[in-house]
Amino acid sequence: MIEEDISKDDIINAYRNVILERTLDKKLLGINRQGFLPFYIPNMGHEALHAAIGMALRDIDFFYPYYRDLGSDIARVGLDFVLAQMFSTEKDNELGRDMPLHISNKAKNVGPVITTVGGHLMAATGVAYSHKYQKKPGIVVATFGDGATSTPDFHVAMNFSAVYSLPILFICENNQWAISYPVEDQTKVEISKKAEAYGFTGIKIDGNNFVEAYHAIKNAILNVEKGSMPILIDAVTYRMGPHTTADDPNKYRKTIINEGDPLDPLTIIENDIKRMKILNDEEISNIKNEINDTVSKEVERYEKMNKPGKETLFKNIYENDPWYITEERGEIQ
Amino acid sequence: MTEMNMVKALNNALDTMLDKDKSVILIGEDIAKDGGVFRVTDGLYAKYGDERVVSTPLSELGIVGMSIGMAMDGLRPIPEIQFLDFIYTAMDQIVSQMAKIRYRTNGDYILPMVLRTPYGGGVSGGPYHSQSSEAYFAHTAGLVVVTPSNPYDAKGLLISSIESNDPVMFLEPKRLYYSIKNDVPDNYYKVEIGKAKRILEGDDVTLITYGPMVPLVKSVVQKNNINADVIDLITLNPFDKDTVINSVKRTGRAVIVHEAPKMFGVGAEISATIAEKAIDYLQAPILRVTGMDIPVPFILEDYYVPNEKRIMNAINKVINY
Repeated sequence: MIEEDISKDDIINAYRNVILERTLDKKLLGINRQGFLPFYIPNMGHEALHAAIGMALRDIDFFYPYYRDLGSDIARVGLDFVLAQMFSTEKDNELGRDMPLHISNKAKNVGPVITTVGGHLMAATGVAYSHKYQKKPGIVVATFGDGATSTPDFHVAMNFSAVYSLPILFICENNQWAISYPVEDQTKVEISKKAEAYGFTGIKIDGNNFVEAYHAIKNAILNVEKGSMPILIDAVTYRMGPHTTADDPNKYRKTIINEGDPLDPLTIIENDIKRMKILNDEEISNIKNEINDTVSKEVERYEKMNKPGKETLFKNIYENDPWYITEERGEIQ
Repeated sequence: MTEMNMVKALNNALDTMLDKDKSVILIGEDIAKDGGVFRVTDGLYAKYGDERVVSTPLSELGIVGMSIGMAMDGLRPIPEIQFLDFIYTAMDQIVSQMAKIRYRTNGDYILPMVLRTPYGGGVSGGPYHSQSSEAYFAHTAGLVVVTPSNPYDAKGLLISSIESNDPVMFLEPKRLYYSIKNDVPDNYYKVEIGKAKRILEGDDVTLITYGPMVPLVKSVVQKNNINADVIDLITLNPFDKDTVINSVKRTGRAVIVHEAPKMFGVGAEISATIAEKAIDYLQAPILRVTGMDIPVPFILEDYYVPNEKRIMNAINKVINY
């Protein structure tokens, strides 16, 4: 036991999740630069937090992620599902209709990721209302970035969820940058303090420390369930890469945490693992090699997979096709 | 059968569906104890409780957004926006989520929800209580847009909308809320989405209208003994192309009447469809009689909205062309 509720296996699993996300993230960024993936949203820096979210959530909880949740998504729906969507393949649940990392999976209680920042927070609140009304077990966990805290959606969701005492946990993945805009300009109060204005608890945590983040999220889920009130977690992390592959952060900031630095979440968990003698250098190296091989193999497989054909273009716009959709189907060239 | 106005008929439809289906939930500002500012939800809070007839904090974004989540999770929410004029803070929710979630998830999530809202003039409401913004919604793929013109259709159409698995914008012409009464069955029945009604039959000209302008067009045609087909579209998207085209092919003349402004409006779409599919049958230009292309004015609203003279001018013009 590392802590009273984290076993040795848990922390090895978390470490594997961190390594998987880092390896996959770098691989995807690389193949984007080679021109094989049209767009990508880098996740570097968020890995420990994603591992914590992935491990703390239970199957009964409804997860409403945002677009920078690669590791949390993999923990929830599996690598295959994420890559099928990432490469817009014919196996994609959504038939390639939205950008990479915009997953959706009803069977696994995952809400559809939306591009518009904060746009999902009221829907998440509605799912929480419905859960409460239908007496479903579990709570709703919604993630979003620090930029989302300036949207009306965030404030309305905080207010409505408190007014109706809804079982929802808001996790702000505060990576301190909304594209080029730093969090200290985004808002003049600590994000966790905003919860007080709506009548519930806000907690600030170190999102780069897996053990702290896992504890905090797990406890918050139990407290939301027990207390029938929302909780807001401000998980402070750092976006080590660009906002998207269309962004060049050198234009507006000096990156303060680089790969391998002591504050890199991967370094933090790796140092913990070594210090606590959970894995030795050889075991660590074996894990990295194994995951590297898996990532290379799987990315290549999904990269080559067929894409949905033009015959799928009009599927599921309405339950039944209106007459003009039937006409337009005949116009595809 | 009971004689009812549109407000009573809508109330009756909501009551029928709340009773029939536990997944139906009403949500909106002042809809619970107060029964809504137009009284459409009167008495329903007392009957079904605050979990199912939910008054909300003052946020249209919140009302629509929360309904989207409820619908994703298997409920059939019916959000009410107090006036269509207040809907714009919820536009992102409507356009980015409500309209797109089915397509974007390839049907993994569907949104069986009905957004009810009063629209149009008739209450001296000025620019922020009188708008007819149906074109915004009809232009958005994924939304169904309907509007009844009498109590009978209002009840049956609302029931159809609640049972539809597509998100429906249910636009209620507030000028007709209390002004007409007709016999409404007390029990469950449906008025089909996507089907227009020929409410008068004639051979000289086709008048195409919907919602708030239907009673006016009907009375103008009757009073002036015009031998006209009058079509109440009822559904704007997807509108009933066959009923429109078949009628115009017979009469060779079309006049479209709506309260919304003309530019880029519903009339333009109907008119273009007629031109595309029946131009060889036309004996006169297609004319539109519409609201003016200005915000709805407070004291001069009567000059903004189509009236008998403007409708007759258009009819005479196409008949004598």
